[in-house]
Amino acid sequence: MRNDIELDAMIEDYLKGNLTAAEAEAFEQLRTNDPVVDHKVVAHKAFLETLTQYGKVLSLKQQMDNAHAQIDVEAMAEKMRPHPSFIVNLWRKNKSAVAIAASFLLLTIFSVYSIQHNSKQNGTYEVMRREITNIRNNQNKLVRTLNSNGPAPKTRKGPSGLAKFGGSGFALTANGYLCTNYHVIRDADSIYVQKNGESFKVKVAYFDAQYDIAILKIIDNTFTPLSNLPYKLKRNGVGMGEDVYTLGFPKDDAVLGEGYVSSRTGHNGDTTQYQVSIPINPGNSGGAVFDNYGNIVGMITAKENQVEGAAFAVKSKHILEALNAIPSDSLGRKVVLSKKNPLQGLNRTKQIDKIQDFVYMIKVYN
Amino acid sequence: MSNKLSSSVPTDREVVLGILNNSEDALNRLYTGYFPMILQFIMNNNGDEDDAKDVYQEAIIVLYNKIRSGDFELSSKLKTYIYSVCRRIWLKKLAQQSKKTTNLSELDDVVAVEVDLEQHEEKELLFEKMGSALISLGEPCKTIIQDFYINNLSMQDICEKFGYTNTDNVKTQKYKCMQRLKKLFFQT
Repeated sequence: MRNDIELDAMIEDYLKGNLTAAEAEAFEQLRTNDPVVDHKVVAHKAFLETLTQYGKVLSLKQQMDNAHAQIDVEAMAEKMRPHPSFIVNLWRKNKSAVAIAASFLLLTIFSVYSIQHNSKQNGTYEVMRREITNIRNNQNKLVRTLNSNGPAPKTRKGPSGLAKFGGSGFALTANGYLCTNYHVIRDADSIYVQKNGESFKVKVAYFDAQYDIAILKIIDNTFTPLSNLPYKLKRNGVGMGEDVYTLGFPKDDAVLGEGYVSSRTGHNGDTTQYQVSIPINPGNSGGAVFDNYGNIVGMITAKENQVEGAAFAVKSKHILEALNAIPSDSLGRKVVLSKKNPLQGLNRTKQIDKIQDFVYMIKVYN
Repeated sequence: MSNKLSSSVPTDREVVLGILNNSEDALNRLYTGYFPMILQFIMNNNGDEDDAKDVYQEAIIVLYNKIRSGDFELSSKLKTYIYSVCRRIWLKKLAQQSKKTTNLSELDDVVAVEVDLEQHEEKELLFEKMGSALISLGEPCKTIIQDFYINNLSMQDICEKFGYTNTDNVKTQKYKCMQRLKKLFFQT
């Protein structure tokens, strides 16, 4: 027992390196000679290592506990605890993804915007010009509204000079009755119609502000009666999708606009009008709308500002009604409507060729 | 909040040097620096503050041993290393508790820490045995052993502390205690 203790102390001293050189040498001699001692040394060494490491870990844990005590874990945990709300959790977990997506979106929007902005450059020039005319129109309208105290006109098409407006019209009878929009000739001092460079003075025979229809009568002496009208007014309505075209005067020469009937009702469901998909411009007002067979199905009156390709045409039925509403004594000579339609079966070019002589440019002075 | 804390996070180099020099300050800063990250991770994955503390401390011990073992190379950022270790430990714990682990995102930035953890687990097993052996050893043996071997007190100090008449008695007592401890340790 005594020896064991001594031996143990010796081993420890040996392991700690506390022995003198002579003692250490003697001990190593003993180790090599006695395998039991050697085994004890190895075992003890390993055990002591474990023990000291254990001690170190303990102290490390103690240190960490101290550090841990400095942290306000409770408050921190409160902020990080998974939120009861699913959305907040989703947000927390996907914050970075959301951020990336958002920045990508922003970038896309920005680049698309800038591309559009760049490519718009040319268009803006045109738009600006048109706005200047619009401003002039608006001012004119304003003055008129103040003077007449009536409802503002729907549209005012085609100013072709200062205090001078232009529209389109077409012959209703061979003896000089024409049809156009009421808003074209509204508040006019004098009205002239022009065809192939010839100008004729006209007077208003009848107008109906509600349907925006005006019937003019050529009162010029130089006017020679026309040949028979090639077209006729269609009494019934036309279906959606019917191909139609119009001949109008957005410039000094007749311009063809082609399209189709896109809706049976006009602006805000107005049943007196069709919506037609024809590109029209100021000056087209009052132009007749023909179907494929050369029947007049309506008359261009207005177009929608905000919608592309939405123009409105008053139905031919109302033009007929207007004609019938003219008292026979104010008509003077009887209005003759062509009953047969020689345009039927002709192709478009031929039809237009024949129609051309019966459409007029309306010039209004006030 | 985490930004404020991370501003006090020491650089990786400071930490390694501090640990090698036994600096308590370095440990403190390391500990407080990365704890919020782990706390958040654990709490977002079915854990609570105590789990976070346990996992985090284990990870720090792994890091400590790795640095102390001398062959430590900074192959990744310490933050990543700690995170990876914690993640692995927590995964293991979750698997043991057979909780759902499916929502633990697999895409996180992690480094391979399996080897380090295996070594750590082996040691941890030994330490557990040692701890339970020491506890069942009872007083005064436990304190004598701890004072002598862990706290490195001299025979003389222990002699005075426990009121032994001379160091030989202490030596005898210590020897007996040591024998019992070894017995207990290897028994379990």
